[in-house]
Amino acid sequence: MPKLKIDGLEIEVERGTKVIEAAARLGIIIPRFCFHPGLGPVGACRVCAVKFEEGPVKGVQMSCMTDAQDGMVVSTTDEEAADFRKHVIEWLMMNHPHDCPVCDEGGHCLLQDLTVAGGHGIRRYLGKKRTYNDQYLGVFVQHEMNRCIQCWRCRRFYQEFAGYRDLGALQIAHHTYFGRATDGQLESPFSGNIIDICPTGVYTDKPSRFTGRRWDFERGPSLCIHCSLGCHIITSARYREMTRLEARFSESVNGYFICDRGRYGFYYTNHPERPRRARIRTEEVSLDQAIQTAAQKIIQINQKNGPKAIACLGSARSCVENQAMLIRFCRVQGWNEPTYFETPTMAKKVKRAVARLDEQLAVSMREIEKADFILAVGADPVNEAPMLALAMRQAFRNEATIVVIDPRPVFLPFEFEHLPVAPDDLEPCLTALIKGAVHRSAAEKMGEEALRFYDTAPAEYPDAPIKNRMVKITQKLRQSRYPVIICGTSIVRETTPDVAADSALLLRAARGRAGLFYLMSEANTFGAALLSSEEGSVMDVVESIEKGSVKGLMLVESDPFRSFPDYERLKQAVDKLDLFLVMDYLPSFAARLAHLFFPTQTLFEMETSFVNQEGRVQFATSAYRGGIPISQISAGGHPLRVFRRDIPGGESQPAWQILAKLANIISLPGREMFSLSKNELWSWIAKEYPIFANVPIADELPDDVRVHLAQGREKLFPSGGQIRSGGLSRENSTLELVMGDWTFGTEELSTYSKYLQQVEKEPCLFMSPKDASMLGLKDRERITLPLDKGRLEMELRIVDTMAPGVIVMPKHRQLAWQKIEKWPVKVAMGQIRK
Amino acid sequence: MVCAGTGCVSCGSLQLRERLEAELKDRGLADEVKVVITGCNGFCAEGPIMVVYPEGIFYKKLTPEDVPFLVEEHFLKGRPVQKFLYTGPIVKEKVPLLKDIPFFEHQVLRALRNRGLIDAENIDEYIARDGYAALSKVLSSMKPEEVIQEVKTSGLRGRGGAGFPTGQKWEEGRRYDSFPKFVICNGDEGDPGAFMDRSVLEADPHSVLEGITICGYAIDAHQGYVYVRAEYPLAIHRLNIAIEQARNYGLLGKDILGSGFDFDIGIYPGAGAFVCGESTALMYSLEGKRGMPRIKPPRSTEAGLWSQPTVLNNVETFANVPPILLKGGQWFASLGTEGSKGTKVFALTGTVQNVGLIEVPMGTTLRKIVFDIGGGISDKREFKAIQIGGPSGACLPSSLLDLEVDFDSLDDAGAMMGSGGLVAMNDSTCMVDTARFFTDFSVDESCGKCVPCRVGLKVMLNILNRITTGQGTMEDIDLLEQLGKHIKSSSHCGLGKSAPNPVLSTIRYFRNEYEAHIKEKRCPALVCTSLIKFRVDPEKCKMCGLCKKACPMEAITWEKKTPAVINVEKCIRCRSCIQACKFTAIE
Ligand SMILES: Cc1cc2nc3c(=O)[nH]c(=O)nc-3n(C[C@H](O)[C@H](O)[C@H](O)COP(=O)(O)O)c2cc1C
Ligand code: SF4
Ligand code: SF4
Ligand code: FES
Repeated sequence: MPKLKIDGLEIEVERGTKVIEAAARLGIIIPRFCFHPGLGPVGACRVCAVKFEEGPVKGVQMSCMTDAQDGMVVSTTDEEAADFRKHVIEWLMMNHPHDCPVCDEGGHCLLQDLTVAGGHGIRRYLGKKRTYNDQYLGVFVQHEMNRCIQCWRCRRFYQEFAGYRDLGALQIAHHTYFGRATDGQLESPFSGNIIDICPTGVYTDKPSRFTGRRWDFERGPSLCIHCSLGCHIITSARYREMTRLEARFSESVNGYFICDRGRYGFYYTNHPERPRRARIRTEEVSLDQAIQTAAQKIIQINQKNGPKAIACLGSARSCVENQAMLIRFCRVQGWNEPTYFETPTMAKKVKRAVARLDEQLAVSMREIEKADFILAVGADPVNEAPMLALAMRQAFRNEATIVVIDPRPVFLPFEFEHLPVAPDDLEPCLTALIKGAVHRSAAEKMGEEALRFYDTAPAEYPDAPIKNRMVKITQKLRQSRYPVIICGTSIVRETTPDVAADSALLLRAARGRAGLFYLMSEANTFGAALLSSEEGSVMDVVESIEKGSVKGLMLVESDPFRSFPDYERLKQAVDKLDLFLVMDYLPSFAARLAHLFFPTQTLFEMETSFVNQEGRVQFATSAYRGGIPISQISAGGHPLRVFRRDIPGGESQPAWQILAKLANIISLPGREMFSLSKNELWSWIAKEYPIFANVPIADELPDDVRVHLAQGREKLFPSGGQIRSGGLSRENSTLELVMGDWTFGTEELSTYSKYLQQVEKEPCLFMSPKDASMLGLKDRERITLPLDKGRLEMELRIVDTMAPGVIVMPKHRQLAWQKIEKWPVKVAMGQIRK
Repeated sequence: MVCAGTGCVSCGSLQLRERLEAELKDRGLADEVKVVITGCNGFCAEGPIMVVYPEGIFYKKLTPEDVPFLVEEHFLKGRPVQKFLYTGPIVKEKVPLLKDIPFFEHQVLRALRNRGLIDAENIDEYIARDGYAALSKVLSSMKPEEVIQEVKTSGLRGRGGAGFPTGQKWEEGRRYDSFPKFVICNGDEGDPGAFMDRSVLEADPHSVLEGITICGYAIDAHQGYVYVRAEYPLAIHRLNIAIEQARNYGLLGKDILGSGFDFDIGIYPGAGAFVCGESTALMYSLEGKRGMPRIKPPRSTEAGLWSQPTVLNNVETFANVPPILLKGGQWFASLGTEGSKGTKVFALTGTVQNVGLIEVPMGTTLRKIVFDIGGGISDKREFKAIQIGGPSGACLPSSLLDLEVDFDSLDDAGAMMGSGGLVAMNDSTCMVDTARFFTDFSVDESCGKCVPCRVGLKVMLNILNRITTGQGTMEDIDLLEQLGKHIKSSSHCGLGKSAPNPVLSTIRYFRNEYEAHIKEKRCPALVCTSLIKFRVDPEKCKMCGLCKKACPMEAITWEKKTPAVINVEKCIRCRSCIQACKFTAIE
């Protein structure tokens, strides 16, 4: 490893480290505009010049482009180098409009900082400044090209890193322009990152424009909970309002960036209709009064109908503390354990995934970037977990082969092999690839179970075009040194998570190294699966209400009306209840129907933790104290001021604390009393769930703590002998309805964001050209889709990138799709009409 | 031999040929006299040109109307037609033979060895002059390493500008074990006024193809590309024909000459940004990306086109290769200077008598080029400077006329070889304006990637604009020097690193002109219009009235026997009068 000296300090770094990075490790921050650790060097701005005094490179050179080498002696303070940098900054300021007072970047602007640091203050050159016209770039990004210093970061991120083409560099020389060919909404769902990385104010955050300077905000580290990846973010709040989010660097999870769903999804927390007072039916009461009333009702039901007559639903968007307290609550009361999943199948799939993810197989997104072969099964990254698509793209840029087996019209911002097969065929398609690439001897070495799995798994995929394409893919897989399997859990069959894990084991045996990465539906699905022991589902609860055995229902941050497939049935069940108790921070439909309502706190208002889909326990601090944003209750004067003793709307509490208080009232004398301390709750969790034992409950925010994963305690290869051959079940008379996610419009919390609502696309039904021509339907026609409990009308889109025999539709906010009796849904062909 | 180089074609050489063929046929001479269309002869100033062999009689400035007389006299009566012969510039005598004309006498043709001698669209004529003999020798009897060694022995340095040793480049290209590899021929030639590469491609495309193929063999590549600017349709047309013919002859394609070596060549028309001539930018452009230089290392020989090992050389470099392998590296090295071997092609333009394409041994003095070959400065004016190396080359004064031109001597003089543009300037050229002109070019052609080049050059241009309009200050000269120094040291690629040369060299050698512009608000060469008074000096005025005729605005009053007077109100400062006046009476 090269050893060098920078400003008299010695440091040893890995080969390939740039001098600018080596210096950063010593705490010496060399000026930079174009260099970005996530994007690498280009050598455009020339402001990172340092003097190489001794060693293989001599003279003033760019520290971002020079590899650290043995024997280098570098000075960052050398007069010649400093003079050089000063000139560069002077040139950059030549054309700058000096509009800092009206620029949102002011206060955290790299250009501002370096201009001051470099000592440039007086303009020496006369002449006109270069000017440009700005563009409308859509809802998120404000454009002000005159501030551009041509560091190329935006284009490098947008096109090279993220793979979208509609924003780039136009023109040459001093006309070089960064923007789009014409005005319009940026097409990339990662567009907001250009705001973060632009070293000056060319791109600024539009929704939060002119709401404050950096130092005006309460800022803190937090988490994104708009999908299961759990990217790291920084919050900014002011005047009791969450104002903006930025990406926070995380080595293992999101790197330097986040997606636009994450960046602009948080507006539910400021939502004007957010319920902030406790209610008894429609009457607003104090939180204490509501708790007292609830306690009485609960005691009544318990006395009359026994402890099993009250059921509880938690959710996978709720934090670990809420989920754990709810379980603890039910156990202490002797109730049935709470339910976190809609259907038994969903519960089973997630639990299998959690059980099968072991220490050796689990990989982070950073490791995915290093894979040379990625096989995604039943996963639609851009729509389900956007940042995963970027991690995969980095692997692609390192020449990885990427294969997606999925019936949906999957789009990824890079070239990949898509094998569109029906949900039933995902497993046989996967095993056919694995068997093609793994020799039987590898399975043999792993024992009898493995061999049985290997021998009974279908080796061939019957559909000829797909089979032919698989030949080339298996060849690549055979040469792969680091294959990774990504497995979704939403549209796949119950056994698929196991088959994916077993496939990964075989690949590891054959290739020496392999990874496994599951996608889950929500931010804390993993936590819910870990904590809940029973495999109950909302479906079971509804049945019990219908049978009359359940009289009371308590929802903790859960809105089954969004996700339960049969709206009518759920509504009738809820109407039958003696007690319907809801705790939430969303103005949800369930909240409106509640007999008793309790306002809870959002992620941004409490100290909390979530477990992402790879079992990583992650912590978030509270960004601000909560309460109704001042802008919503003031008359709009300047400055924004409303003076009161209390915090209006400040009654919300963490759901787990409300639960603790409730429990302490209803508990019979002698039963355990709950404390309101988070540490106490966590010691309970660690005691009850040894898997959490290594998680520190420290104040710092550890990034790389995974729960102790399965570690091979599970039975491996359970699906041996169970995988059917592919392509058999296809009935020509029906189409299977697959419901998927869209980046914008399907994820619960973010659908409350008024900005994301503006970029949502209208929901539509996807169909393959083959099926469409059989039905005589044309692209963009409006069609009616019959479901068990009614029909849906929408536009038809015919796409050739999806599986025949399947129709695909998003679980879209704008679509009342909850008319389904049970999964899977098969629609008779003839019934889809214009 | 009728020249069909671009220069001659534009003066009507194709019509000339048609008329000639018709005339010969009418006179029943069609079987005895063969009309051959050749690539650029080089002496463009005298076009359209025709050379009659076997004697090698050189006819200049012919029109179709001259043809009947010429055919009558020369072909029927066997008398060279005096009035179409070339007249020597100094001793006013007719020089009938091409080889005796001074313009040709001092040249040594290597890269241009076939110029004016073969029909570029006929491979047989190339083969008849030892074409493809080198390739055949290489494939049948030489190992790739031996080829590289021979090129190294020759001391050939790249003709694209930087003068990188070609053998060394090939050796690196061979060293990397990643396949496929590529050979690229750089025919972008973005320098304004340069037409060396164009002429080679138009006059002798096979020599370039042969050189590329030999390089392919040496580095173990199987695909070559010629990147030609799209503004060269004739070059592209002839390359296409040449490639087709070579394929038909088994000189390209699979199993060349039965040796088992496969190689093919494709043509890529480039969209013509100057910076696309830079090697890494060119490769991006070939890949369909934005043409912008990238960081080296890795060098292109390790990761070039599509990130594969790639050897990129200039057109002229490749054209030099076949003779080296046929006659040996020693033979090539016998000409030239210590550090620069062989010859160099220059496009000689500007205010010399003989404008054209020339090839001279490395180490030839500027004096010889300008005065012997170029025939001295035209219009009885004084030599003032010579601009060498394209838009970012330098302007050298008369005191450096005895400089022996090679890569290193130019470097020492603050100039550079560039691709070989030579612009001679007489005393009616303003050096400040010249510097401004070239800087303006570079400002527009900068790719915009790095700050010094994008912003710094623009600042220099602004300052130059101020000076040429009389608003400069003495500090501006220091500022220009400082800026130039910083831009040179801090730019990313060759464009920015050399673009300040015109300014720096003119300050170095013609500082007095800058001072005249600034201190006296005067442009000594009367070029910078805002500094011209547009006043007739009655002392100097010879009362000839030429200026009055020249003025498009009727702003000049003149009566016989009185000095002319310019009405400044009406004057639009077009300089027509200045150009018209033979007595420099207008200031
Ligand atoms: C701005 C710029 C423009 C260039 N233009 C050309 C060109 O038009 N033709 C050319 O052959 N080389 C050009 N070059 C030089 C090439 O980068 C490269 O060095 C050369 O083609 C290599 O071939 P050689 O070794 O045979 O000289 C240019 C370089 C720069 C920096
Ligand atoms: S990928 Fe998921 S966790 Fe990451 S920012 Fe986007 S929505 Fe949030
Ligand atoms: S020196 Fe000029 S042309 Fe070269 S990379 Fe920089 S901006 Fe582009
Ligand atoms: S940071 Fe090194 S050139 Fe911009």
